[in-house]
Amino acid sequence: MQTASVLYPDLQEAFIHLVNQHRGILHKVCRVYCFTEPDRQDLFQEIIVQLWRSYPSFRGDAKFSTWLYRIALNTAISDLRKQHRRITLADPGLLPAELQDIQYSGEKEEQLQLLYQAINRLTEIEKALTMLYLEDKSYQEMEEILGISQNNLRVKMNRIKDKLRKMTKEATYGIGKP
Amino acid sequence: MELENLKSIWNELDSLPTPETDGELIHALLQKRSRGPVARMRRNLIRELLLIIITYIPVIFFYLVEFEGRLSAISGLMFLLGLFFCGYYYRKMRLLKEMQCVSCMVRSNLARHVETLKKYTRFYLLAGTLVIPFTAIYSYAILRWKLPQATGIQLYHRLSPAPWWTNSLYWLLLLAPLTIAVYYLNAWYINKLYGRHIKKLQELLREMDE
Repeated sequence: MQTASVLYPDLQEAFIHLVNQHRGILHKVCRVYCFTEPDRQDLFQEIIVQLWRSYPSFRGDAKFSTWLYRIALNTAISDLRKQHRRITLADPGLLPAELQDIQYSGEKEEQLQLLYQAINRLTEIEKALTMLYLEDKSYQEMEEILGISQNNLRVKMNRIKDKLRKMTKEATYGIGKP
Repeated sequence: MELENLKSIWNELDSLPTPETDGELIHALLQKRSRGPVARMRRNLIRELLLIIITYIPVIFFYLVEFEGRLSAISGLMFLLGLFFCGYYYRKMRLLKEMQCVSCMVRSNLARHVETLKKYTRFYLLAGTLVIPFTAIYSYAILRWKLPQATGIQLYHRLSPAPWWTNSLYWLLLLAPLTIAVYYLNAWYINKLYGRHIKKLQELLREMDE
């Protein structure tokens, strides 16, 4: 934050520089919470607007990425508008458009497909937890972002892992499918 | 599927090209308005307030100037109603401002959102219901004490010596069911507008606390 404000004395320039540095986080949040390109674009725009509004009050008490996660997740979770299209498990266009063009090995692509399928079936809070876990955030950082105690987070993470295992079994063996 | 095993795949996503987010694109996004639910509610509220101001001011002036000022009491009623609406919109706007703290922790933001939205709907219901008896009582007062001064009223009294609206009992009998009906109508409408949203937010909050 300090480096950005030294390099870019103009507030907007500094903001744009920081957002560009952390744009990967924003795109991941959009991918996790939205499954169509228009929805992703809408959410991305809304997150940028909210970040810009809150930027003057950012004092650097927390890490910039923690602050960014809070705003991105708050915007994604409390935005309860109907999405353009709810995907189903068998949707072939499940992977976000930019990921569809990447050549993965068969196994990796399958795993990525499974990951997105599974994430789609999680609740909004579980999605946030899963994403932070995959991002290798510590429980302390998760607590700072979500406001859930670390003990509760551990319990929830175990539940999510079980849920994901169960989902994989269902997807692989067709157990429990309607 | 083990989440641990997926971490590496997930982290590989960082090295993938993300959609173009150059300075110009972000700069363009900064010029756009928020399309979030709270921002839209605030914009709708401002539109409603402008509509009230635009329609009430000519009516207030009309009754103040026309009929040699004999019906200025109606201007008074409209003025008081206008003041009531200004207070109403001011309170609603403040609640909407307090509703979100996007840079707060997710849990506290959700709790704040639910609490303020509940306050907002309670105030909506209370104000939307109270405006009925207030308008009715003021209208009765106008008819009872101001109408006798109106031109041509003697002729009306000759045709109808004891009109029903001069009797306050009829007004009370009408007012009670009307207020109750408006209360339930408002409650239904508010629930239709915000009920699902509040329920969903409460579910999220409950899930976080479980």
